[in-house]
Amino acid sequence: MSDEDSKDPKESGRRHFLETVTGVVAGAGVCGAAWPFISSMNPTTDVLAKSTSEVELGDIAVGETKTVDWQGKPVFILHRTPEQISEVRNDQSAQTKDPEQDEKRVQKPQWLVVVGLCTHLGCVPLRKDKGWLCPCHGSFYDDSGRVLRGPAPKNLILPPYEFLSDNKILIGKVEEQS
Amino acid sequence: MSKLLNWVDARFPLSEFVKQDLTGYPTPRNLSYWWNFGFLAGFVLVLQVVSGLFLAMHYKPDASLAFESIEHIMREVNYGWLIRYIHSTGASAFFAVIFIHMARTLYYGSYRAPRELMWWTGQGLLLLLMATAFFGYLLPWGQMSYWGAQVITNLFRATPFFGDEIVIWLRGGFSIGDATLTRFFVLHYFFPFLIIGLVLIHLVALHTVKSSNPSGINLAAKDNIPFHPYFTAKDLYGLGVFLIVFCFFVFFSPEFFIEADNNIPANPLKTPAHIVPEWYFLPFYAILRSIPDLLGGVVAMGLSVVIFAAMPFLDRSHIPGGARYRPVYRILFYIFVLDFAVLTYVGAVPPSGSLVVIGQVATFIYFALFALLPFISKAEEKWLCKRGLPAEVEELLKSKSSPDKFNCPL
Amino acid sequence: MNQKTMTFLLFGSFLFLTANSRASSDVSLAEVDFDHSVENIKSGAQVAMDVCRLCHEFKYIKYRNLLEIGFNKDEVDVLRGDMPLNTSILSTTKPEIASKLFGMMPPDLSLMAKARRGGARYIYTLLTSYSMDAEEHVDNKLFPGIKMPDPFAYAIRTDDVRQKELDQRIENVSVFLQWTSDPKAKERRRTGYYVIAYLIVLTFLFYLLKRKVWRTLK
Ligand code: FES
Repeated sequence: MSDEDSKDPKESGRRHFLETVTGVVAGAGVCGAAWPFISSMNPTTDVLAKSTSEVELGDIAVGETKTVDWQGKPVFILHRTPEQISEVRNDQSAQTKDPEQDEKRVQKPQWLVVVGLCTHLGCVPLRKDKGWLCPCHGSFYDDSGRVLRGPAPKNLILPPYEFLSDNKILIGKVEEQS
Repeated sequence: MSKLLNWVDARFPLSEFVKQDLTGYPTPRNLSYWWNFGFLAGFVLVLQVVSGLFLAMHYKPDASLAFESIEHIMREVNYGWLIRYIHSTGASAFFAVIFIHMARTLYYGSYRAPRELMWWTGQGLLLLLMATAFFGYLLPWGQMSYWGAQVITNLFRATPFFGDEIVIWLRGGFSIGDATLTRFFVLHYFFPFLIIGLVLIHLVALHTVKSSNPSGINLAAKDNIPFHPYFTAKDLYGLGVFLIVFCFFVFFSPEFFIEADNNIPANPLKTPAHIVPEWYFLPFYAILRSIPDLLGGVVAMGLSVVIFAAMPFLDRSHIPGGARYRPVYRILFYIFVLDFAVLTYVGAVPPSGSLVVIGQVATFIYFALFALLPFISKAEEKWLCKRGLPAEVEELLKSKSSPDKFNCPL
Repeated sequence: MNQKTMTFLLFGSFLFLTANSRASSDVSLAEVDFDHSVENIKSGAQVAMDVCRLCHEFKYIKYRNLLEIGFNKDEVDVLRGDMPLNTSILSTTKPEIASKLFGMMPPDLSLMAKARRGGARYIYTLLTSYSMDAEEHVDNKLFPGIKMPDPFAYAIRTDDVRQKELDQRIENVSVFLQWTSDPKAKERRRTGYYVIAYLIVLTFLFYLLKRKVWRTLK
C-alpha cells in the first residue's frame, strides 16, 4: 500500500484498520462463494441415493463366488465351503502384512463379502486357486480377502452390509433420510 | 520473498509490469462512476467462464439428454441451481453492463482519435458476445431455445445463391437437431477463448492510449493519479453495488430472464405461440421485423450492429470533449437511447397494426441518426466555433500542459 | 433539465419499456394469495398422487423427494409399491393407453408451473375455469378445447360448501406443482437473504474505504 499521501499517522492508522477489516470480510466472501462450486463436484443427490445394493444370496452355490455392483465398485461374495473356512481359520501363519482374524472379517462364516478392488492401485483381482490374484502387480489374497504376498499394503476392504434375511443382504449404509 | 522477486524480475518484467500497468497505471482523476463498467464487464466475463466451466461438468450436449441434464443440474447437483442461475442471469448482466459501457463511450466521445482501435476491438467483442449468447441459448434445449435457433439460422437463407445449402451446413441437418446442439455447445465453449484474447488486445490498446475522461480532453500529467489505491477502491465499491443487484435477481427472481416456454422440452413439430429472443437482442430483432423483406431485414439487422464501428468516421466534429460540450450531439445521443428503448419494446410484443409502424419509424430514426451525423457534427462544430467554446474547455485547452490542441477552423 | 435527471429519465424509460414488454399477457389469471406452507404442499401432493397421477407423470420428482415435504417413510412406501425410492414418479395408467384415450400424451407435470406464465396462478385458474353450458357440454374458459377432462368435476359443483373445499384442494395442488417445478425455491430465498445482507455490509465497507482513500487527494 502506498501511503505517501496520508501524512497524518493517526489517519493512516485508521485507514490501515479499515483496509484490514474490508480485506478479511471480502476474503471470507470469496471463500464462501467458492464453496458451492467446489461442492458441485461432489456426488449428486441421486448418486448418493443409489449408494446401497440389495443382493440375493440364494443363487450362489457353495464354493462359488459372485461379483455384484455397489456404488460402481465390484463386490465379491464368496459362499465358502467348510474346508475353505477351516483353512483360513487354522493357518494364520502366512498372513503377515496386515494380520487379521477371519472371524472379524465375516458376519456369517460361510459368507465372505469384500470389495473387489486391490488395495495396491485398484485393479480387480481374479479368482485363482484358493484366493484372488491381482493381474496388475501380482498381489495375492486368500479366501478371507487377506493379502498374502505382493505389493498390496492391506487386506481387501469390507463394505458395510447387513443381512435382511438368511438369503438377502443389503450392502452399504442405509442413509438416514428425514 | 524479495529474492524470489528479483530472480523473476531478471527474467521477466514482473514488478515493472505491475507498477506500470496495474498499480501505477496513470488514470484521470475526474472519471465518473460511468467508467466502472469496463471493470464490471471483465468481472462478469470471469463469472461466466467459471460458472460455465462447472456447468459443463454436468451438462450433456445431446438432444435426447440436454433438457434432462439441465433439470438434473437444478435438482440433484449440489448448488447446481445456484450455478445455473448465476450463468443464466450473468448473460443478461453481461449485456446490460456492455450496453452501458458502450453508451458511456458514445456519450463522452471516447471512440474518437486516438481511441478508434479501442472502439473497434470493443465492437468485435460485442459481436463475439452476441454469438456466444446465441450458441448458449440453444443448450437448455427448451422450446424457445429450439425455435430461436431455428429462426436465426434461417436468416442465412438470405445469402445469395447458396442460401439453403448454408443453412443446412450450419445446422448439420435439415432442421435444428442433435448435430446442431453438439456444435453449438462446442462453439459456446470455444468463443470465450476468443473473447479473452480480444479483451487482452482491448486492454493493451487502452494502456497505450490511456483512459478517456468526462471532459473528453486529455488531462495534463499532474491530473492523473495512480490506479491503485484510488480506482481499485472505486471499482470495488461499484462491484459491490453491482453484486447486490445481480444477486437479487439470482436469488429472488431468477426466472425473470427465462421465458416460461423454455421450460418445455424442444418439440420440432410445434412452434410456441409467440417466440421472442432474449431481451438483449430485441432492438435488433425489431429492426429485422420492420423490413418486410428477408434479405433487406437481415442486412438492416446486421448493419444496425456493425454500424457502431463507423462512429469515428461519422463524427466529423473536432470540438474536444464529448456530449458534455456539444449540445446538438447530446440531443442526438438522447434520441438514440430512447429509440433503442422503443425498439426493445417493439421487438418484445407480437407485431400488430400500429406497433409495426412504430417499429418502422424507430428503425428509420435509428439509421437516420447515423446517416446524418457527419453533417450535423460538422455544422455543430461551425456553430460552436462562432459562438465560442465553453469557458471550461478553453481553460483546459489553454493550460500549457494539456497535450490536446484545437483551433477553430474559421 | 440537467444532465443527471435526463440520464435518469432515459434509463428509467428504457427499463420500464423492457420490463413492461415482458409482463404483458393477454389472459387474466385469478388473484390467489397462495399459502406455500409445507402442509399445503403435502396435502396438494396427496391430491396430485390420487388424481393427477392417474394420467400425468412427474418425471423430475422422485419418490424420495416426497420425504422433503413432510411425507414419512411409510406413506412413501405405500405410494411407491415395489418401485425403488430413487425412481421418478410415473403415471399409474400406461402412457400408451393414456395417449390413446386423449389423442395425445398427457404432459409431464413436474415443470408445469414454471412452463406457464403465472405459475401456480395459471394452474389454479385453469383448474377452476371448467364450466358447463346449456347443452351440458363442459369446456374450459382459459384453455378452450382442452383435452383434459375436468379432473375435479369443477363444472358440476353444486353447493357452496363443496365449492370451498374444492377451491382449497385445487389451491393445494397448485402450490404442490409450484414446488415440483422449483423445489429449491425455499433454500434459494433463504440463502439469498444472507448473501444480500453480507453484500450490503461489504459494499458499505468498500464505500468507506473508497471515501477514505480519495480523501487523501487534493
Ligand atoms: S493393483 Fe493389484 S497389485 Fe497393483
